[in-house]
Amino acid sequence: MIKRLFDWLKQPSGLIAAGIVVLALFGLAAYGISWTQRSPEQPIQFPHNTHITIGVQCLYCHPSAARGPVSGIPTQAKCWGCHRQIAKTDTSPLLAPLKQAVESNTPIKWVPVFHASDFVQFNHRAHVAAGQNCENCHGDLSQMTVAEMPQVINMGFCLKCHIKVAGADQAKFLKLTDCGTCHY
Amino acid sequence: MATETKPSETNSSAEHIGKWGMVIDQDLCTGCQACVAACAMENNISFVGEEDSGYGRSMHWIRIERFWEGVYPEIKMTPNQPMLCQQCLSAPCEPVCPAYATVHSLAEHINLQVYNRCVGTRYCGNNCPYQMRSFNWRDYERPKPLDNQLNPDVTVRQRGVMEKCTFCIQRINKAEDAAKAEGREIADGEFTTACAQVCPANAIVFGRTDNPESFVSQLARIHGHGVKHLEELGTLPNVTYFKGG
Amino acid sequence: MSDKFSRRDFLKLAGVGAATTAIVTGCGPASRYVQREPYMKMPEYNYNGLSTYYATTCRECAAGCGLVARTMQGRALKIEGNASHPLNLGKTCARGQATLQGLYNPDRVTDPIKRARGSASAEKMTWDAATQVVADALKKYKPDQIAFLVGTAPDHLFDLIADLATATGMNAPVRFGALSMFDARATLSKAAENLLGKSGLPFFDVGGAQMVFSFGANFLETWLSPVSYTRGFSVLRDGQTKRRGNFVQFEARMSATGGKADEWIPLRPGTEALVALAIGRLASELRGGSLPRAFAGVDPADAAAKSGIKLETLKRLANIFAKSTGALAIPGGAALGQSNGLAVAEAVLALNAIAGNFGKPGGVFFSALAPTQTEYQRPASAKEMQDFVNQLTAGKFKALFVHGVNPVFELPASLNFKAALQGVEQVISFATFPDETALESDYVFPDHHGLESWGYQRVATGASQPVLSGSQPTVVPYYNTQATVDVLLAATKLAGGKFAQALPFKDEVEFLRSKVAPLMSEADGFFSALDINTFMAYFQQHGGWWKTSDGRGVPNVADILNRDLKGAEATFAGEGEFFFTPFVSPTLAEAGANKPWLQELPDAATTVMWNTWVEINPITAEELGVNDDDVVRIVSEVGTLEVTVYRYPAIRPDTIAMPFGQGHTAYGRYAANRGVNPADLLGANFNEAGDLAFAGMKVKIEKTGKVQPLSRLESIMGVYGVGMGKE
Repeated sequence: MIKRLFDWLKQPSGLIAAGIVVLALFGLAAYGISWTQRSPEQPIQFPHNTHITIGVQCLYCHPSAARGPVSGIPTQAKCWGCHRQIAKTDTSPLLAPLKQAVESNTPIKWVPVFHASDFVQFNHRAHVAAGQNCENCHGDLSQMTVAEMPQVINMGFCLKCHIKVAGADQAKFLKLTDCGTCHY
Repeated sequence: MATETKPSETNSSAEHIGKWGMVIDQDLCTGCQACVAACAMENNISFVGEEDSGYGRSMHWIRIERFWEGVYPEIKMTPNQPMLCQQCLSAPCEPVCPAYATVHSLAEHINLQVYNRCVGTRYCGNNCPYQMRSFNWRDYERPKPLDNQLNPDVTVRQRGVMEKCTFCIQRINKAEDAAKAEGREIADGEFTTACAQVCPANAIVFGRTDNPESFVSQLARIHGHGVKHLEELGTLPNVTYFKGG
Repeated sequence: MSDKFSRRDFLKLAGVGAATTAIVTGCGPASRYVQREPYMKMPEYNYNGLSTYYATTCRECAAGCGLVARTMQGRALKIEGNASHPLNLGKTCARGQATLQGLYNPDRVTDPIKRARGSASAEKMTWDAATQVVADALKKYKPDQIAFLVGTAPDHLFDLIADLATATGMNAPVRFGALSMFDARATLSKAAENLLGKSGLPFFDVGGAQMVFSFGANFLETWLSPVSYTRGFSVLRDGQTKRRGNFVQFEARMSATGGKADEWIPLRPGTEALVALAIGRLASELRGGSLPRAFAGVDPADAAAKSGIKLETLKRLANIFAKSTGALAIPGGAALGQSNGLAVAEAVLALNAIAGNFGKPGGVFFSALAPTQTEYQRPASAKEMQDFVNQLTAGKFKALFVHGVNPVFELPASLNFKAALQGVEQVISFATFPDETALESDYVFPDHHGLESWGYQRVATGASQPVLSGSQPTVVPYYNTQATVDVLLAATKLAGGKFAQALPFKDEVEFLRSKVAPLMSEADGFFSALDINTFMAYFQQHGGWWKTSDGRGVPNVADILNRDLKGAEATFAGEGEFFFTPFVSPTLAEAGANKPWLQELPDAATTVMWNTWVEINPITAEELGVNDDDVVRIVSEVGTLEVTVYRYPAIRPDTIAMPFGQGHTAYGRYAANRGVNPADLLGANFNEAGDLAFAGMKVKIEKTGKVQPLSRLESIMGVYGVGMGKE
């Protein structure tokens, strides 16, 4: 039985069929992997570009970034502060989830995009205080609606900049390349 | 860099000064276990249950050692000995890790444990003369809602990973960040480790050993009877003990 | 959005997100498996990732230490001591540290429930129905048929019930707890009444002393106020800024406190009064002059013979006590838990007259009463609890409300509390955890956990100043629980009549304000304010209100050396060769068994975890033919227990000891069916003041042939060189 299958595979029709199967599997795999690289679905299609265009600063919605380890996601109250005064809130389908959440007093379940691994203790304040712009890691959000990863952020990405920033300062270099600065 | 030194050269610890250190007064320690509980709460340490603790697999980053001297009725309990990772300047656990998970911090001069690098060979735990390293033999259960209590500043460890006292490096980093934010140095006593903070007998004092005016340095100087355990092995521990009495 | 929200309203509104995370590998944005729920309305002072700290009071024992709880995003993460609270000055004990494992315990009572007594299953109710049940009980029965049994801590709930009782003719609430039973508070208070001029809880200034003689008082473990006494001990021992102080511990079994002593005197149980008086006599003789009547009735040689302590040792001890510039004698623990416990307390208190230390630094004081308190209100003694149980059995009380105490577990089984409940028509428990008493109740209407509660608590001892320690919620209540005070306020309104008039408060916060407001006109407060809102804000922020002035009372001891003090030996109930000394586990205490990290803490003296053991002298063990991990049967006149042996070198050969704290049959997965409860062996024997003579029994030991290994932190070779050729 198996021998007959192998014999058929050696035929041109068999080879083509095998090739199609392999290509199909490869296509599926590529699609699967590409799917993992896409930004996750958000409950509200929040347009960063629109808000930046009208002049909202990053730190207005994410003030904790300048003060502590995490920037966090703003509360509904922050959105509602402006949106309760904007007529479009009542009409736009994009804003309906926000209105619904505020009126029914339920939280909005965002999916974080910039999510450091469990074993990394990332501290925003230090970076903001050192004069780093949000765009350096988070990309140019004036070109995005929901947040997306502009580049892979892994330890190499962090270390490259740390080493550059430390420059010739030995003490700073030792601190910024020390394992215990981020992993504890 | 940890100073290379032969065991015979370690009779005086004065030259080998780290950055963070402790002084523990065994005369004051009552063995109340408040430090053990505080450390467990601060550092998300799992509890292992009766069977595993019986096999010596409990995860105490600090433990109180108690010995006996003599026989009844002339029997004495030796002064309680809170034992924790000594953050050795010449740590025997460091050179043996094949994954570079336990490295010496060149910034804070303590011995680090990088959980994501650890592959669980347990060679470091084997090498530690103080036996102060704990291994996560299992994924220990933390039934909901006990996990609400987890400290977000400290990684929660998985099975297969070694862990040990870090001198509350999360508090060290937080204090340094706060000081940097205000453009000043960290004041002595501005923060302390969880064990030192809770000790009702004030037996544990933590601080900068490289600053001669810090409380911990002054205590070490004034007291005079300080010992470093297993000093003869050349580990250059950062914890000084007063036996008292 | 700019409305003024009270704390309660805000806490009801704030959404607490629970981020669900999954373990992910590095295939892509790992975050797609994570959800973040931010606050809906975040408090103005909050930033993500930054912690908010609330000052409150610890409820793990009745001491009343001040805590600061670190919270982030609505979760309590870590407990620290409140650095400005005069009782604990920023420190806590192990049980205070583990209190979060009570708050987030997986086995809490989550809703009001109705059950058949003794049945583990129960049906949930609504709070409206629960309140109606309470109201009905208050209306249906006559006021003197209603009883409240509450915990030792003199807190705001106790005050509410006391006020209700006064206004309606209900019985005053009864306060009780295992710790107060082992502390022998009635004995201390009665001895103070007899010798120091009035009834009250004495305070012993260990920190100011130089030579402390402690007769059984295990003040470094759970006795009265361990954090404060430990601080005193550390000052006593300070040898840097002053001369190092010493202390001597007189007890048959070396406790963890005794382990820190410079000398341990293993006197025979029952001879503490004789030894104390003998030392008093020998010290007076050294001083010269006429022998005080207090010490005239004892013969030191006789005391030496009976106690097993050599006469030369007694003389030496008398010498150092008499010569010391800061001598202090403390009675407590098992020494008072014997048939002559009051005589022991009086003998030891009298020793302080030799030191002349009453009302002086390093001496004996009356504990400072809380602000606006005029006299010491002590918890019920074991004898009073026996009377209470008899009343329950006789059917005097139709409704019993229980809060903050677990009498089915904490009282000796021989007092038959569980059986007595049959005489009560309705038993309503307010327990936060499913403990043994809640299991025997008809209803459980769970109170919030201490960290979720408003309130205040008077500090009974340990601080020099009068202290009223405050509590506030550190997190939103996790389950569908309600503050018992709120339940009672709502129920009394429903009940109407005298009950409604007695408590004209809208809710717990309004009741608290009414009680705290009088402090505004008290002098010497460490803060003051002109209006009640500001005052309450400070009260919450600082964790209470206390005076800056010393409030300790000076005993009136003009007559003390002239008393005729009894120097007799104690009598022991039961038959057997061995004196039985139960002691409170310093890690578990009354209520710690359901917190897994407390179970995992090694006992200070034996390093045993997660179990109960019986301490036997190694020589005795050899004679009995038992070894470590063998199970033996302890037989007392009222019960038997099977427990594992631990060969303990620092105990008299004629004495055995067992820790109290384990042996639960309910109370959650970490507590249930673990270890044994020594209270099951204790008979209804009392001392002269009514406290339980818990160390006043003799027991037999029988071998069972069974083996049950104990988990010990120390190496199995550690104590006796087993396996190292040193047996």
